[in-house]
Amino acid sequence: MKLPESFYEAVKEYQIGPGDILAGAVADFDREYRFADTVVALTRDKLLIAAYPYREKQEYKLGGYGGIAPDMTLAGKPALAIYPLEKVESLKVLRQIGTGVLMGEIEGTERFLCQFSNTKQGYFHKLEEILRKVKAGEDIQEKDLDVEHNRKACPKCGMLYPDQERQICPKCMDKRSILLRVMSYFKPYKLQLALMVLCYLGTVALNLAWPYLSGTALYDKVLSKDEDFVAFLGLPAGSFLAALTMLVIAMIVAKGIGQLFGILQGVMTAKVAPRVVGTIKSQVFDSMGRLSISFFTKRQTGGLMTRVCDDAGEISNFFIDGIPYFFINSLTLVVTVIIMFALNPLLALSSVILMPLLVVMSYRMLPHLWHFYGKRHRANRRLNSQVNENLTGARVVKAFGREEQEIRRFGRNNGKVRDSEMDLARYDNRFYALYYSVEDTVSFLVWAVGGAIMISGFSRSAGETISLGMLLTFSGYVGQMKGPLEFMSRIVRWYTNCMNSAQRIFEIIDATPEIREAKDPYRPGALKGEIELKNVTFGYEPHKPILKEISFHVNSGEVFGIVGRSGSGKSTLVNLISRLYDPEEGEVLVDGINVKQYGFRELRRNVAMVSQETYIFMGTVAENIAYARPDATRKEILSAAIQASAHDFICKMPEGYDTMLGSSGRSLSGGEKQRISIARAILADPKILILDEATSAVDTETELAIQQSLERLEKGRTVISIAHRLSTLRNAKRLIVLDEGRITESGTHEELMEKKGTYYKLNELQTKALAMRGLE
Amino acid sequence: MQEERLDLLNLREFDEEAYKKESEELLEMRMLTAETATFARTEGGFLSLKVGDKEYKRVRVYLTFPLTNPEEYISIREATEKAKEIGMVESLSVLPANQQEMLREQIRLRYFMPEIRKVMELKEEYGYAYWYVETTYGVCRFTTHMSNDAVVTLGESRLLVTDIDGNRYEIPDFYALTVQERKRLDLFL
Repeated sequence: MKLPESFYEAVKEYQIGPGDILAGAVADFDREYRFADTVVALTRDKLLIAAYPYREKQEYKLGGYGGIAPDMTLAGKPALAIYPLEKVESLKVLRQIGTGVLMGEIEGTERFLCQFSNTKQGYFHKLEEILRKVKAGEDIQEKDLDVEHNRKACPKCGMLYPDQERQICPKCMDKRSILLRVMSYFKPYKLQLALMVLCYLGTVALNLAWPYLSGTALYDKVLSKDEDFVAFLGLPAGSFLAALTMLVIAMIVAKGIGQLFGILQGVMTAKVAPRVVGTIKSQVFDSMGRLSISFFTKRQTGGLMTRVCDDAGEISNFFIDGIPYFFINSLTLVVTVIIMFALNPLLALSSVILMPLLVVMSYRMLPHLWHFYGKRHRANRRLNSQVNENLTGARVVKAFGREEQEIRRFGRNNGKVRDSEMDLARYDNRFYALYYSVEDTVSFLVWAVGGAIMISGFSRSAGETISLGMLLTFSGYVGQMKGPLEFMSRIVRWYTNCMNSAQRIFEIIDATPEIREAKDPYRPGALKGEIELKNVTFGYEPHKPILKEISFHVNSGEVFGIVGRSGSGKSTLVNLISRLYDPEEGEVLVDGINVKQYGFRELRRNVAMVSQETYIFMGTVAENIAYARPDATRKEILSAAIQASAHDFICKMPEGYDTMLGSSGRSLSGGEKQRISIARAILADPKILILDEATSAVDTETELAIQQSLERLEKGRTVISIAHRLSTLRNAKRLIVLDEGRITESGTHEELMEKKGTYYKLNELQTKALAMRGLE
Repeated sequence: MQEERLDLLNLREFDEEAYKKESEELLEMRMLTAETATFARTEGGFLSLKVGDKEYKRVRVYLTFPLTNPEEYISIREATEKAKEIGMVESLSVLPANQQEMLREQIRLRYFMPEIRKVMELKEEYGYAYWYVETTYGVCRFTTHMSNDAVVTLGESRLLVTDIDGNRYEIPDFYALTVQERKRLDLFL
């Protein structure tokens, strides 16, 4: 472990060299909570603490910038404290909310040694452990010193991947590659895209021709009876009416072709966009299926999917509308300006002179406008969620008689929506009024300059007067520039939005699951169902273990009970058996083989879980029961339902087993859902059955019935049963009691009763409660 | 099996009184006052507590309303893994001034949260947001996830920011920031 140079300097005079230091960590706060460094280091026989003075204007790096920079320049000389290790009993990290404190037990006194941000927490935990090992005389191995335990770092810049599920360094990410990657989704549609480009080009050409046709050609050539023009059209001299007819026909044809291009392009868009969106979405969903549970628990799953769906649309829109229009609009702008200058430089100059102002204005003012849009969106969302809350919680609102209060709350939220709406309208008006007045000024300027030239009969360009048609043509061109200009002011934001959407999507597509199937997985035909846990330690977050050094063994075909109060880690424990998570330390063995070596399919087909969280999918009752085995016959489904005591209530429903469940279908009570999930497990016919409070939501009578069916189900399987009610566990041959993530008691029912510990107490309480009720 | 069960109804060995007392204690709200409790600073820099004739070598101080009411209803807990509650201090003001200070020190320690005064830079890149801010404790950089829970709105305009390592920061009043800064934060709202 590398520590700052100045620290090595400071300890040199105590005959401590860099080689003597076993481990070290740098704390980043002083006791006044200012950013100041304290180095804590261990040698074989000493604890060194070097507190550096606080320096102002130092830039500090917290979340995501972990690690000890060896070149960290520490100002000043540190205040050094050295404790001989025989006086230091232990080090302990005391977790606070946003910080940690290192406490040392030194000569029987608990001492506050230093405090640090959560970023440094891991280093101090290591220090704590290393001291324990040194004290116990254990060897210190390379892996003990490795704080970035199992965590991978970016090969380019060395920064730890902030998210281990997604090994992409956000710093070294190439933004352009996102663009290219998104483009690759459009590759299969080259032909359609080419057609679209053709349509766009045609539109540009028509757009450019239109002002000329309706201005110069109509007024200057036909209406002002230009003989050359008639001759140019190949008509007999003087036949202006014919020329007019031809011009009108040409104009109609131009419009018609324009429409045709529009339709064609619409058809192509309709062909390409939904397909690309579909491909992206299914890739995302595929990837989500692969990912381990922890990916979803870290994020809000519901929001994730809707966001992804919106994102896919956003990307496709940008590529179908954004990019082509960007080229079309740039082309239109450039060509328009060129044509204008070619026709009449002075008029052209007066029409483009104010254009930069428009660009600047929209660039500066649009963000504010978006801000107001965002505010309105938030206010609306708050209002909607309140309405939603009140509808779903109507019973509670009524029961407590809080209608008045809710109405007032609605009034407040509604007021906020109104205010934000008004703010938005106000700014919106201001912006567009200003914007359009500049635009109109441009038009007026063209008219004014053009008019002045016409009247004075002077034009610098060719010494000829400007005609009315020319003026109309110009005004047409000016009008045509408005659209592209507005577009240009939006494109930057559009582009960033699209890239962000793409990022989010690739974030999910690229995520590598934390839990991966072994390369050459073990695929046994059938399992015996023997389970063993060896020194398993696990926590959802680093340094916050939920399970601590759990070891037990369950024989094949045995019923094993787990008892413990809520939050003691029971459910977490069983999640490790079906490998929804991997333990941090220790191993989980099934039939003597680490679960990591099994193929997912083999392992999970053999492990079924009935948990306290029941989940009903959209579909019929029968489909829900046959979820794990879609090929099950009707008879098998019926038999599973009967065994789970679900048959009766299913039969009573008008559509029986064909009843639609899920979002739009019938809703079931908690007990009914639980019975369906039990039936699901019965039908799955696993070798290892995990019952996690499987009967907690049913009434006592039903529980007894289900218990009987479970007993039948338990034959020939290994069952791990978790329950609050000890009566549920009466078949368990052996039991363990979990408390704060540790096994505190284990043994058979009789042994545990003998111990007179937690189990005994629980048992007494529950039988007592029943007995008391009996007396009344 | 069934017969053994019946056996258990023999309750002689079960100390019902002790259990009742324990559960009653759990349901009781115990208030610590200047008369019943004395806090003292330990030699090692922690806080100790004497309640009646019981002495706690080191205690923890939890706030029950850390965001809205940091001076009242303060829960004092044992320094063990279970952190059992010893009692509550209804208000800091009931304690002698020097003891109030000791508790405040512990509260600051547990709920340390720099206030963000200025948001100099906020960049979003590939699912992460990189912050460059000025806090009450100095200028600092940190990274947050781009999910909604990285920045939580409390009440009207107060924001709580949590970075990827779990460090916390506070923006006391969103509307006190400049328009530019608010625009940067728009990303999260």
